[in-house]
Parts: sequence; structure tokens; C-alpha cells
Amino acid sequence: MSKKRDRLQIIYDILRVIKEKNGKIKPTNILYKSNLSNQMFQEYMNELMQKGFILERRAKISKTYSLTQKGFDYLNKYQMIVDFTNSFGLNELVI
Amino acid sequence: MMNYAIVPHWFAGYNAALEMLFFAIALLVGAYSLKVYQLSGQRQHKLFGISFLMISAAYFIQSVLNFASSYSMAGGCNLQTMPLMHALNIVGIYAHMLLFTVGLVTLAYMALRVKDLKAYFLFAAVAIGAILVSLNKLYFFYVLSSILLIYISFFYLRNYLQSRKSNALTVFIGFLFLLFAKIHFIFSIDHSAYYVAGHLLEFVAYALILINLISVIRRK
Repeated sequence: MSKKRDRLQIIYDILRVIKEKNGKIKPTNILYKSNLSNQMFQEYMNELMQKGFILERRAKISKTYSLTQKGFDYLNKYQMIVDFTNSFGLNELVI
Repeated sequence: MMNYAIVPHWFAGYNAALEMLFFAIALLVGAYSLKVYQLSGQRQHKLFGISFLMISAAYFIQSVLNFASSYSMAGGCNLQTMPLMHALNIVGIYAHMLLFTVGLVTLAYMALRVKDLKAYFLFAAVAIGAILVSLNKLYFFYVLSSILLIYISFFYLRNYLQSRKSNALTVFIGFLFLLFAKIHFIFSIDHSAYYVAGHLLEFVAYALILINLISVIRRK
């Protein structure tokens, strides 16, 4: 991962990590692989759940995450979203 | 008081056709941005989409009005229907000015990256209020549009300087042409040549924006 990532890239990185181990990944693994601080990680995960990109499954002692169809669509069309965003100056500030 | 732009007789009909083209391009950009918003969930995409949809609606109204004017100039309107045509013209011009202004305000609000709806409504209310109370509404509308486009053009210049990508440059030049077009429309109230030049500059602006959109779509 590059040092400076924009918001779209961070979302892409989180979703890609979840996709690689779909339905089995724990929050600590995502946190480690997405290279974010704990606070930023929580904010992004809450936003991704709120916007319907990921689903949280709670077991007795742990919770796991999986992608929704919207999450898969985001990964598939990521390059188009980035091109559109960059050319029309639609980048959001990174939290 | 409402002064009208002077439309050269030979250009009647062409202006409406060009405005219909601007409507289609703005609609395409707005709809595509909202489609991207569905995928990304990012607020900037939503604001950009809404602003272009408003601008497209403004062009649609302007185009229909100018088609109707061309029709009446060609003798398709009699003395009985003339007052109705005039009233429709006034309503149409107001609708065009308000939609276009709110579209540009939304674009400027997006570029400011402010996340406060109260600021947006205040910004829009001040812009609309200023047009409504001004003595020459059309003239003031073009001046206000030019001011908003100066800020938006600077925003796109900054965007290009940060990315140094050809797509960002195309969009910046597109908005710069849109600014030049609005400046020409300020003078079109007295000189018909500026009205034609304004339309041609707008054509270049929307062509560049369309070229950028096509290149993004084709790359996916």
C-alpha cells in the first residue's frame, strides 16, 4: 500500500482485504492489513456498514465481516470511480 | 425590470438546438455522477450529480423557450396568443435563472467541501434573493454566474495542478470556457454578436466535459 492514500483507496483496501477471506475475516485482521489507526478503522468500518458495503456477523465470542453485492460492485468498478472522481475533482477529504 | 439578450435573426433555432445539446450533455454527466454515487456512497458524487441535473433542467427550459420564440418569430403566433407566449417566456426565464444559479451554487458548495446544509441553503438563498431584487435580473444573473464560475474554475485548476492528469486539464479548460461564455452573455444584452459567441464557447465547454466523460467510461 502506498504511504498517502485517499478515501476511495482506503475503502478499496478494506474491501479487498475482506474479499480475500470473505466471511471469515476478523476485525483485528482487517485492521492489521488495512494499515489504519484504530480510530480511523472504526470510523471507516461503521461507514461501510451504514452504507451497505459490508455485513457484520456476530458469533459468541467474535465477529466476522463479509462483502455485500454493493461491496463487490465497488471493487469491480473501482478504477472507473477513481477516474471519474479525479477528473471531476470529487475526492473527499480523508478523515 | 428584465432586459433580454439580443438574438440575431439568423441564429434563432440554432440557439435552441445548441441548448438542447447542452441539456443532454449535462443530463448525462449528472446521471452518471449519481450512478457513481450509488457505487461509492460519497457525498461529493451526489452533490456533483444534483448540480448537473439542475443545470440540465435549466438548459431544457431555455431551449424550449427559444424554440417557441423561433416559432412565433416565424409567424406561428397570432395576436391572441402573444400575451400567453410573453407570460410563458417570463416564467421560463425565471425558471432557467433559478435552476442554473442553484446548480452553480451546489457545484461551488461541493468545491468548498463544506459539510453544513445550513451554509448551503444560506448560500442559495442569498444568490436567488440577489437576482430577484436586482433591477436588471438577467444581467445580474450572468454576473453572478461568472463569479461562481471563477471560483469553480480555480477549484478545477487546483485539481489539475495536484493530479497533473490530462482528464483533469480537460475539465478545467471546459469550465474555463463556460466562464468565458457567461462573461460574453453579460454583454449580449447590448450586442447580438456576444450572444452567438457565448453559445459557441458553451459548445466547446460541454464538448470538453463530454470528451472527459467518454474517456472515463471507455477506460472502465
